[in-house]
Formats: sequence, C-alpha cells, structure tokens
Amino acid sequence: MEVDLDELRQRWVGHDFDVAEFQVDTRRMLEWAESCGEEEPRFTDPEHPDFQAHPTFTAQFVSRKMFPEDFPLIQKGFFMIDGGKSVTCLAPIRPADRLTARSRIADIYEKTGRSGNMIFVVHRMSFENQHGVPVSVVDWKLIQKPGGRA
Amino acid sequence: MILDLHNHSVRSDDARARVRNYCEWIRKRDLPLDGFVLTEHRLFDAESDYRPLEDEFGVAILKGSEVETDYGHVLLFGVNPDLLAAFDFSRVDLPLELVLREAERCGAVAVPCHPGRPNVGLFAHFERRGPVPGVRIVEVWNGGSRGQEDELARRRAAECGYLGIGGSDAHIVSHIGRCATRFADEIRTEEDLVAALRSGRFEAVSWK
Repeated sequence: MEVDLDELRQRWVGHDFDVAEFQVDTRRMLEWAESCGEEEPRFTDPEHPDFQAHPTFTAQFVSRKMFPEDFPLIQKGFFMIDGGKSVTCLAPIRPADRLTARSRIADIYEKTGRSGNMIFVVHRMSFENQHGVPVSVVDWKLIQKPGGRA
Repeated sequence: MILDLHNHSVRSDDARARVRNYCEWIRKRDLPLDGFVLTEHRLFDAESDYRPLEDEFGVAILKGSEVETDYGHVLLFGVNPDLLAAFDFSRVDLPLELVLREAERCGAVAVPCHPGRPNVGLFAHFERRGPVPGVRIVEVWNGGSRGQEDELARRRAAECGYLGIGGSDAHIVSHIGRCATRFADEIRTEEDLVAALRSGRFEAVSWK
C-alpha cells in the first residue's frame, strides 16, 4: 500500500469528525480509581472536599467513530495496532459533570523500528465540561504497518 | 568524563521521561555520569533550556538528535542551524550518505546507533547493500539492544575499523546510565562534544 503522508496530513489532520457526550457519576469515578490502584483520598473518597476523577479517567471513553469516514489508512485486513493513550489533565472532573468530547486526527507520522516501517495516527479526544471548560485531552496512538496483513 | 550519549525525553513521541527526572535519578542512584545527551527522535529540540537543571544537579545536559535513514537510525551531535537547514529531520528515509556529508560540512558528527539491530541498524543494511563511505563512529553499546545485537555491533565495528560509543537509548527514567562513553577531555558544550568525538579520545562503557 503506497501512502502519501503529506497529502494525508493535509487532508485529515485537524478536522473534527465526531462529537460524543459522557455522563460522569461517582460510581464510575470510584471504579476507575480503584482499577488504577489509586489510594489518594481526593480520588477515592467521595466525602473528600476536593473529590475528583482520577487523572486518567477520560482514557476509558471512546468516540463513536475511530476514524473519519473514508479515512484511507483503514483497509480491511490490514494490521492496526493499539499504540496506547496519553492523557493531559486540564481541570478537575467532578461528579455529575457532563463531558463533551470532540474527536479529531491530531497527527499522522511515520517511523521505523525493528519490525519495519510504521505509520502512526493520533486520534485526539478533547473533553470539556458542561460549563465549556476544557478538562482533558486524550491522545490515542494507532499504528499501521503498511503492507502487513492480519 | 563520562556522558550517556543516547537518551530520549518526553519531546520524543515514544518516551516518558522528563529531563528533571533523569537528573534526579542520576543523583539518587549516584550513577557515574557527568552528563547526558538528549537525542530526540526525528527532531532537534531547540527551545528547551536545561541550564537551570545543569546548575541544580551538576550534570551536563547536551542536545542532539536521532534521525532515520535508509541505513538505519543515526545520532547527530553538534546540531546547528546549518545542519537543520540541510535536510528534513522528520523524514524516515534520509540517505545516510547525505546525513554523513552534511554533518561533516556543518561541523557536526553523525553516528549510526544500535547498528546491530534488524532493520534500523547500519550493519543489517551492509549485508544487503554494502558499506557506506564516511562512517567513522558507531554506537557499540546500546541500552535497548536485545540478544546479540551489541555483540554483532562491536564485532562488525572492529572489522570495519570504526570507533565505538555507548548510549543507554533511555525512554524511561530508570534506563539512563546503562551505557555511556568515557572521554579523555572535559565536555561542557555541544561544540566540546563534537571536538571530543572527532579527536577519537573516547571509549564506550556499559553497566548492563
């Protein structure tokens, strides 16, 4: 599969392609903190005066679409490897917050490794709360190996 | 003077280590390093100023880059505006001959790293395409090497008459100081490092 990365970047990077909403509740916050092994009370004790979601809380959410319609790297039968997520915390997430997440392709780049060439697609979900305050950014790296078949 | 010549910070897309945390780790573990070089993937970090950290921790923090060529990955020391203008650091298919030539012209030093590694190591390409003129130094100890990769690197480097450096290729804090390079001279700046590498007065060391 021949891929023109400059053309791909020009066409797809920076464009929002999905919006999703997520309701935050105390139970979900506690479950996430527990699953992370968190012990700090402000993340695990709802009675704590600064109770808030664990910093990685938004990593659990996925948008309805992984990629925009017609995104050309997605071809049936080709490898797509999960390269992990990184989370940037911007403001606390509290119980009963309603989060709106906008998805976009934040970057497309190429690199080489032991196993050959790889194309990285960064799916970014930017979360804001019901007051329009940005609270979190999640960058999800997806790796495609050109020519590799599943 | 001992410098770890190959490390990545959060400025690289695949690294998680902050530079302050590298400094703290070196002091906490009393590692025998006088400094380290940040060689971010496919870019040169011109903006970051680590002088306050150098003063606070008493370690030299220098900056270089790791670029990707048709003969594998290559460390660049002494990156300057001329070299930045010579080719696009973000490309993954830079001709090694171009990188070597431009580094020489611009007063920098290019060093193929982890040369014993499949696909992204110099010697893997030698097997198929033959040697490239202009290589003088390769990384013979790399902290991220697996299996016999470093052994292959040292053996082939000796056969080719290349000098050897060491670097940890750290992407997380606890990996710094696995491999390094011992210099005969004092090094405080990137220019000092280039001069020391060109002098050949150094040896690779490993604590793996």
